[in-house]
Amino acid sequence: MDDFKLDPAKDLGLPLDERMKSLRREPELVDSGLNMLWWTAVRAYLGAWHRLEVLGRDNLPAGPPFVLIANHASHLDTFALGAALPWRRRRALFPIAAGDTFFESLPVAAFAAFVLNALPLWRRRGVGRHTLEQLRVRLVEGGCSYILFPEGTRSRGGDMAPFKPGIGMLVAGTEVPVVPCHIEGAHAALPPGRHLPRWKKLRVRIGEPRTFKATPNDREGWAAVAEDLERAVKDLSGS
Amino acid sequence: MSGWLETAFAHPVTRLLTLVTVAALVLAPLLILALRKLGKTSDKLHAELLSRWRTWCILAPLMLGPVLLGRGFTIAAICLLSLACYREYSRATGLFREKTVSLLAVTGILAVAFAAADRWYGFFMALGPLTVSIIAAVEVLRDKPKGYIQRTALGVFGFLFFGFSFGHLAFLANDERYRPLLLALLFCVELNDIAGFVIGKPLGKRKLIPETSPGKTLAGAVGALVFTCGLTLVLMHQVFAGTALDRWPLLLTLGVIISVGGQLGDLMLSSIKRDVGIKDFDVLLPGHGGLLDRFDSFVLVAPAVFHFVRYFGGVSVGH
Repeated sequence: MDDFKLDPAKDLGLPLDERMKSLRREPELVDSGLNMLWWTAVRAYLGAWHRLEVLGRDNLPAGPPFVLIANHASHLDTFALGAALPWRRRRALFPIAAGDTFFESLPVAAFAAFVLNALPLWRRRGVGRHTLEQLRVRLVEGGCSYILFPEGTRSRGGDMAPFKPGIGMLVAGTEVPVVPCHIEGAHAALPPGRHLPRWKKLRVRIGEPRTFKATPNDREGWAAVAEDLERAVKDLSGS
Repeated sequence: MSGWLETAFAHPVTRLLTLVTVAALVLAPLLILALRKLGKTSDKLHAELLSRWRTWCILAPLMLGPVLLGRGFTIAAICLLSLACYREYSRATGLFREKTVSLLAVTGILAVAFAAADRWYGFFMALGPLTVSIIAAVEVLRDKPKGYIQRTALGVFGFLFFGFSFGHLAFLANDERYRPLLLALLFCVELNDIAGFVIGKPLGKRKLIPETSPGKTLAGAVGALVFTCGLTLVLMHQVFAGTALDRWPLLLTLGVIISVGGQLGDLMLSSIKRDVGIKDFDVLLPGHGGLLDRFDSFVLVAPAVFHFVRYFGGVSVGH
């Protein structure tokens, strides 16, 4: 961000309920404040209760845009990734959350939108592709970063599922770096179905960023991106 | 309760304007329906008029209510209005992405409300230069010279017009006749708007400044001026009865200030909208747009009327 541009908010003129679900939503002063308090609290909690350890912070890009991806086996994953970032790099960080889980009921949606700063990805058939296209446009414009779990849902048993090609639709043919991460211990601490987290250690390994400028933005390219990143995360896990 | 009623409605102008507002809100739908029956309004215009009326049914009590309830409520309501208008402005210009500037401007707005609530005139007046200096200085410390002028200037502009300027309305609540004064001012400014529209629509030929606001005509502007001077003369003569301001040349000047200031404020916000390329500031008020689309006329009027009234002995000052 260099020169100042007279550029109205991308979500200007949307009524509140549509704004919450809008992929163009931009955080304001109050949301940013809430977001900052939230992450401070999450960091303190993860440090105290889960003794969060972060390895490879040097691999993080200096600023947006970038995409953080990881294996997904627990609701703690988003928090662990967000907390692994220094707060300056958390600026304009949007976790991509399942629309059907986080954006259906009003109070949950308000929390997801204005505190977590999450953007909805609807998993219904045919909707995902359009959403990913919009998310891609926003990412390439710069100024924002995403947290995304390419498995598409939390693994029930803790083993990593194959990555879906959606991550490829987001970054194939762009210069946006994708940072593969591996989260260890989240499934043991808070597996799907459990409500209160156990006193277990969490470890986040941050790998080297990868770009997919030369990868074609088509079905094959998307699959190649997914495959490459899946391998990268597996390598980080040491298995 | 009865004590409050007696104080709130003690002044005849307060009673009159409250009654007129209630009557207008009750009679307006009948008039809109009558025009519809006579076939004078199209489907679109009819829907628009109804939507505007519905918005006024919520807006009018929100404007009158705090003034009738008391000084503290009035200052709080104007502070909220300032914050909401600053929000709309910063979202329209992109300034909201600059969190530091916005945080400082918002702090300045809260300080203005505090100064008004505390009747602290010295601090209130100091907040103009003080907030401007703080915004300019803190932005230097961020060490981002690219875009410095734009960020700082936009922040200063936003604070001065939507915080400091509106704050003068809040400080007017320290005048002993603030209820009739603020209500009369609200009426004169809003009716000034409406008069320009009603007179300009059928009579206007020459455009006033078509690049900025294609709907405004010279006839509308002059008509609004004449109408508002008359209205101000009648209403403010009652409000200021027995004070130094109660002389017709002064009241007429006040009318000119309200009418010209109101119209220029309206056009100023139109210029901002044209410049950034948006139609309305928000969709908060159906039929109107955002709060800034409704309160634009007060931006220049508030400080001008404040100092005019104060020069002639109004607005009691503590400290």
